[in-house]
Amino acid sequence: MHIPDGFLSPQTYLPAYALAAGGWVYAARELRRRVDETLLPRLAVLTALAFVLMSVMLPLPGGTSVHASGIGILAVIFGPWLTFAVVSLVLLLQALVLGAGGVTVLPVNALAMGLGGSVAACLGYRLLAPRWERAGLFAAGWLAAVVPAAMVAVVLGLQPAIAHRSDGQPLFFPFGLSVTLPAVLVPHVILGLGEGLLTLLVVSFLRRR
Amino acid sequence: MKDRLLLLGYAIAVIAATSVHNPWWLAAGLLLVAVLAGRQAPTIGWRALRAVLFFSLVISIGYAAGALFGQAVSLDYLILVNIRVYLLIFLTFTLAAKIDILRALSFSRNLTYLVTLVLSQIIPFRRLFEDLRLAAESRRLRRLRLRERYLQSAAAAVHLFDRAEHDAREIALAMRSRGFFQPDATDNAPGD
Repeated sequence: MHIPDGFLSPQTYLPAYALAAGGWVYAARELRRRVDETLLPRLAVLTALAFVLMSVMLPLPGGTSVHASGIGILAVIFGPWLTFAVVSLVLLLQALVLGAGGVTVLPVNALAMGLGGSVAACLGYRLLAPRWERAGLFAAGWLAAVVPAAMVAVVLGLQPAIAHRSDGQPLFFPFGLSVTLPAVLVPHVILGLGEGLLTLLVVSFLRRR
Repeated sequence: MKDRLLLLGYAIAVIAATSVHNPWWLAAGLLLVAVLAGRQAPTIGWRALRAVLFFSLVISIGYAAGALFGQAVSLDYLILVNIRVYLLIFLTFTLAAKIDILRALSFSRNLTYLVTLVLSQIIPFRRLFEDLRLAAESRRLRRLRLRERYLQSAAAAVHLFDRAEHDAREIALAMRSRGFFQPDATDNAPGD
């Protein structure tokens, strides 16, 4: 679901950095307030874990598989702010150490996956869990896949309107919302079912012990 | 200092590459980055090409296909966007090859410690994940059903969570025993 570098205009990624920076500062304060001296090692280990969780295969029918995101799991267990911090760190390391993703897309990916995905997952879980715990867990995983996809689709789809030449020729991503929304959302609505199932299984296993 | 300057230069170059809309200037920028990459330029160039090829092809073909439906399609756009995407990836791979990430992030002590810990933890986690995968593979006598594959993935994730909790406690204890959490410890940390 990552947006690759080069398809977002500066009019998009610079304000996104400002917004994400506010989120990072708030997340840091929130975590310092809630977590003791184990914050730094916990954050580091969870970031490494998230890095590897993104390698966990989400099985698909027919023997194929795709990578999970693990955002639903992290959000239900650790809450949205820790998940936002962890996902942002993973994206930063992927961009600077592995050269994957990129710095222009980092704030949008972080806001979509780390904040949008985890907040949606927590809300979905809190709404359903009091009556239907398992449905809440499934919804958390599904929402953690679908909401970031919707956010990314909207940001990409707005690019032709945000950055174009005087003759209307796009300068960055060329397709509008009528293309990006179905193209990005439809696969994620289906993949989200797998993410939901994985979230349900992992969190249930963890709580059963 | 060199690494911090490299990071700053990279940030400026990225903003410039996304603010310039003339393919010739972007091509000149690409040439400049290739020169800066030195002897690694062919390797980095090939890696960058492999990294962008799929996505750029999908976008370019999708855009060009618009002509079949009577939409205005511009060759200038295709050249511009593909050079820009390749330049940005080439630039990022060059930075990744040249920079010491820990030194570059040394403007923040906590961030440096955090990244050091993360990098030191990723390798054992990856190894553990690969071990779990190989162990499951070696014990498999038949192709697993979808339900079994989900249970296997979930079990691997649960084991990784257990390991993460354990490692976080161990590292916190190790840091405490070395006086890291004393109020003045991070202020006088070595390397600052």
